[in-house]
Amino acid sequence: MPAIDALLLTLAAAAIAPQLETAPPVQAAPLRAAPLQAAPMRAAPIHGGTLTVGLPYDIDTLNVYSTAELGDVEAAVVEGLLAPDEHAKYIPVLATEVPTLENGGIQLTQGGSAMRVVYHLRPGVKWHDGADFTAADVKFTWETVRDPRFLAESKDGSQDVTSIDTPDDLTVVVNYRAISPAFASTLFTFGILPRHLLEGHDLNHDVYNQKPVGTGPFKVSEFRRGQYVVLDRNPFYWRRDEQGASLPYLDRVIFKIIASSNTLGALIRAGDVLLAPRIPYMLAKQLQGARNIELVSGPSLGWVHLDFGLKSGSKLRDPVLRRAIAEAINRAALVKAAGGYPQAIRSPIVPLLESLYDSSPDASAPAYDPDAANQALDAAGYRRGPDGYRSKDGAPLQFWITTRSGEIDGEIGEQIIMAELKAIGIRISADNKSGIAYREARYRGDFDLLYSRWVTASDPVYSVFYGSHGPLNGQGYASAELDAALARMETSIEPAPRRAAARDVQRILAQDLPAVPLINMVSIAAKTRRLKNFTTNPTNMTDFIGIARWYLEPSQAGTP
Amino acid sequence: MSPQFLLRRLVGMVPLLLGISLVLFMIIHLAPGGPLDAYVDNPSVTPEALAQIKVAYGLDQPLPVQYLKWIKSMAQGVWGYSIRSGRPVTQEIAERLPATLLLGGTALVLSMALALPIGVVTAALRRSAWDHALTFLSFAGISIPVFWLALMMQLLFAISLGWLPVAGYETIGAAGLLDRLAHLAMPAVVLSLATVAAWSRFLRASMVDALGQDYIRTAYAKGHSPAGVLIKHALRNALLPVVTVVSMEMASIISGAVITETVFAWPGIGRLFVESMDGRDYPVLMGLMMMGSAALVVSNLAADVVYALIDPRIRYD
Amino acid sequence: MIDGARASLWRRLLHHRGARASLVLLLLLATLVTVVPMISPFEYDQEDLDLIGQPSQPGRAHWFGTDELGQDSLTRVMYGGRISLAVGLASALVATFLGTAIGALAGFFGGTIDAGLMRFTDVILSIPLLPLVLLLSGLFRPGLPLLVMSIGGLTWMGTARVVRSQFLSLRELEFVDAARALGAGNGRLIVRHILPNAAAPIIVSATLAVGSSIMLESALSFLGFGVQPPTPTWGNLLKTASPWIGAAPWLVLPPGLLIFATVLAVNFLGDGLREALEAKQ
Repeated sequence: MPAIDALLLTLAAAAIAPQLETAPPVQAAPLRAAPLQAAPMRAAPIHGGTLTVGLPYDIDTLNVYSTAELGDVEAAVVEGLLAPDEHAKYIPVLATEVPTLENGGIQLTQGGSAMRVVYHLRPGVKWHDGADFTAADVKFTWETVRDPRFLAESKDGSQDVTSIDTPDDLTVVVNYRAISPAFASTLFTFGILPRHLLEGHDLNHDVYNQKPVGTGPFKVSEFRRGQYVVLDRNPFYWRRDEQGASLPYLDRVIFKIIASSNTLGALIRAGDVLLAPRIPYMLAKQLQGARNIELVSGPSLGWVHLDFGLKSGSKLRDPVLRRAIAEAINRAALVKAAGGYPQAIRSPIVPLLESLYDSSPDASAPAYDPDAANQALDAAGYRRGPDGYRSKDGAPLQFWITTRSGEIDGEIGEQIIMAELKAIGIRISADNKSGIAYREARYRGDFDLLYSRWVTASDPVYSVFYGSHGPLNGQGYASAELDAALARMETSIEPAPRRAAARDVQRILAQDLPAVPLINMVSIAAKTRRLKNFTTNPTNMTDFIGIARWYLEPSQAGTP
Repeated sequence: MSPQFLLRRLVGMVPLLLGISLVLFMIIHLAPGGPLDAYVDNPSVTPEALAQIKVAYGLDQPLPVQYLKWIKSMAQGVWGYSIRSGRPVTQEIAERLPATLLLGGTALVLSMALALPIGVVTAALRRSAWDHALTFLSFAGISIPVFWLALMMQLLFAISLGWLPVAGYETIGAAGLLDRLAHLAMPAVVLSLATVAAWSRFLRASMVDALGQDYIRTAYAKGHSPAGVLIKHALRNALLPVVTVVSMEMASIISGAVITETVFAWPGIGRLFVESMDGRDYPVLMGLMMMGSAALVVSNLAADVVYALIDPRIRYD
Repeated sequence: MIDGARASLWRRLLHHRGARASLVLLLLLATLVTVVPMISPFEYDQEDLDLIGQPSQPGRAHWFGTDELGQDSLTRVMYGGRISLAVGLASALVATFLGTAIGALAGFFGGTIDAGLMRFTDVILSIPLLPLVLLLSGLFRPGLPLLVMSIGGLTWMGTARVVRSQFLSLRELEFVDAARALGAGNGRLIVRHILPNAAAPIIVSATLAVGSSIMLESALSFLGFGVQPPTPTWGNLLKTASPWIGAAPWLVLPPGLLIFATVLAVNFLGDGLREALEAKQ
């Protein structure tokens, strides 16, 4: 009976249908803040052991300059000239000292309108394949990164350099076209590329992207896409500890790729994963009190904020409306929902950046005051209807809010904001996007409200976010006064003028409110109690930049 | 079954595949942003570089020309490079395919092994307690949300009892047959549950039909043993419609099972698809979609061939 | 169908135990979700500031506990039922309508129209469902109408095939010739004469489609495609509850169980309908 056949086929198809599921990859939020926990130094670190790390994202490439993710694995393999430590201060790595005005590393040129940076390189450093590391590699790195044929995410800084001289194998002179206080944030800090292996190669398709060669404490042994990366100890690593013993302490590091936060939590509890960096607050809340697991939270240079879409025609161009929205937000609820880890902030410059942060009231966004918000909206003519929502001249007050879908913490925060704005009579509907669609919406300003986060380097550049021509400014916000203040802040090497300019920047942003700063992110890592010397790193260089000094205490039988 | 039959069916596949390719091509090019989405808003990609990429990918040509070029390169096996990783698309897919095939294949075998006896028993013992119980279980199997089941199983067998590994393809450094089986166990069971349920229902209905036929009564009357009648006569005929269903399922294996792969961290095609979707990696997406469609078309053909082979009564003109 | 036939069909249906229980369950569920706005002390999006942060256990104030935003779980599950059931029904209707229309046209006219429509059906069937759904999700803003159209628009193919084969056989029968002789046009023939006789498998197919639509909605919610929070559906409730599966299982069980129970009931009902209609023949 054909009819029955087809019917049962439908049933079979119905059975197949539930298997057509998709889940967006859970993106780890690089969330940081809260008190630092420094691990106590043991008398004698143990050599040996394998550390299993759980990464919550899929690795697209192991080339630190072209990856769209954070370079966790790369930080253990590839080194740069400088690196930011856990206090967001630069320390020398492949350079012997951090160039400053005082030590002559930074020299002003062309009458003070440009600069040149001189690096003295560490002698005796070898690449993983045994070749010598020289100044030619540094110059090669700059040429490769800035090459327009190399399609990379992180080219910042490469265009600011006009030329590089290498008077000898261990000296690099970098000539800049202007003063760039943030010269160390990306180029050269991300890593140096090996000239002898990559010269003449097309870096877009080279095997380097799967097996990068560096000077770091570990080298890549195996990369199984979608599964894991195995790193083994570099026996010729140049760094030694205070007792002269060779680093790193660990023998092997395995990065497991775990797309699902639930699975990651399960693996941590089971002891299959000994370290999970930057876990979502959701997972941290669930792991509190788990046996043998420690939660380490560290401050971060990242912050969460609510951006307004300010393209022409947008109702949000009304400053009264923006201020009311800012006053309706109760940051305490956001902090509570995040397990109490983050800190409420009212400035885009995070408190960790002590030399720039200003907490005075006129430099801070409005505090929580729903009554004031309601009054302001009433006075501006937005009347409440019978359903509680406001409208003016027949146009209802309603907006879309967008955040990156799949990020649990973001979605929870978004819900809270929606409820708080509902309380003052504004109807908000969610329009979340994933992956590239989200990035597009952000860059093009295709949003009313955007609940998002930025992480800066330890020399922050805010003009990219709020400058009229800032590449990351998709909102449509433009202020000549702010541009001037930002320019002053970003071209002063001296601390006092920088601080004064930063205060102006914060004041103008608090006044104009193109975005409402909400909370300062925290980085929470879940780790086994056996892992010692681990510290979180607040910058975008990831925690793994300090991996050479981590060590594992041996496990007692039966414990993970 | 004649060679002409086979040939005609093969030839019939071509317009179908072309039709599918046209639909896919149009969808990709109609999507906002188009194939260069991944680069367009990347602040590091200059307009000059973007223009260069456009020419390199042939995107400055008119659409029909692009389509023909794409068809030609697909047929030649040149599927382009992944935007996210820079590696050839064929390599990306080939790397993930074995894991998917292993999981899907195991689930398929499991489904058949269970559905067959359940289908036969429930048909033979119609309206008995067994039938009711197994039928209920079958319906239950179709009605459980897969991701819920996956999570519950993980909670029970891996976290609470510790009998099976939580996730992953293998234990690094300790891979072996037993290890692989342990990792395969939960995802395969989760994946096969709904199909077992559906197939056993399907087979039952098919068997009931077959058992109602005259020749069956004749066989009983002739004194053949009930079991023999069941298996030799009814089952053989009842299996025919099942062939179609099984072949469809075989093809959909290639598309991967995304949530199962995600929950159990299985490195398969399903996850590759979602990641490529998020990263707007169109070369990989196109390659995957064409592969999935081609698999379905081929499996339909295979089903027809098998059908014709088994049942000599069937003649197609 | 004439009244007497309808009454006996009903009797046969109720005789099927599974169908009987399912009918009761579905009616009960439908009633509950309809009255929830009137009887629940909470709004579905009412966040409790004191309880924000962790889901709280079931207790006197909140019978099913709360989620991590302090929203009452029982209220949300019931409201979620409204949408999940509505989406299930609406999508099934769309799929049935599309499938019937296409199948009827193909089966009635035959020839090139049939070939064309069936090729079209084949092409859609041959593209893996998943990519189509994901692509759609990238193109449009999420929302209820889109969700219903997508599910309905991607699951009509089975119904189309059934209807087509029904029409292929029915159009040869004498009553069609008779009606035509009396001056009935094609449209009238299809709708007034053949369609009612093809109703049986269509009804069963529609019933089963409700079950698969509910399943598909819950799967799609995992994508973030469809109804967005705070508006609850069983699917997106499962999504937000699944991270808490170990620590707060009371959040995961109700929506999962309700999906399970509803789909099960619908499937049994469909099965019962099928048997009742079969027996008639």
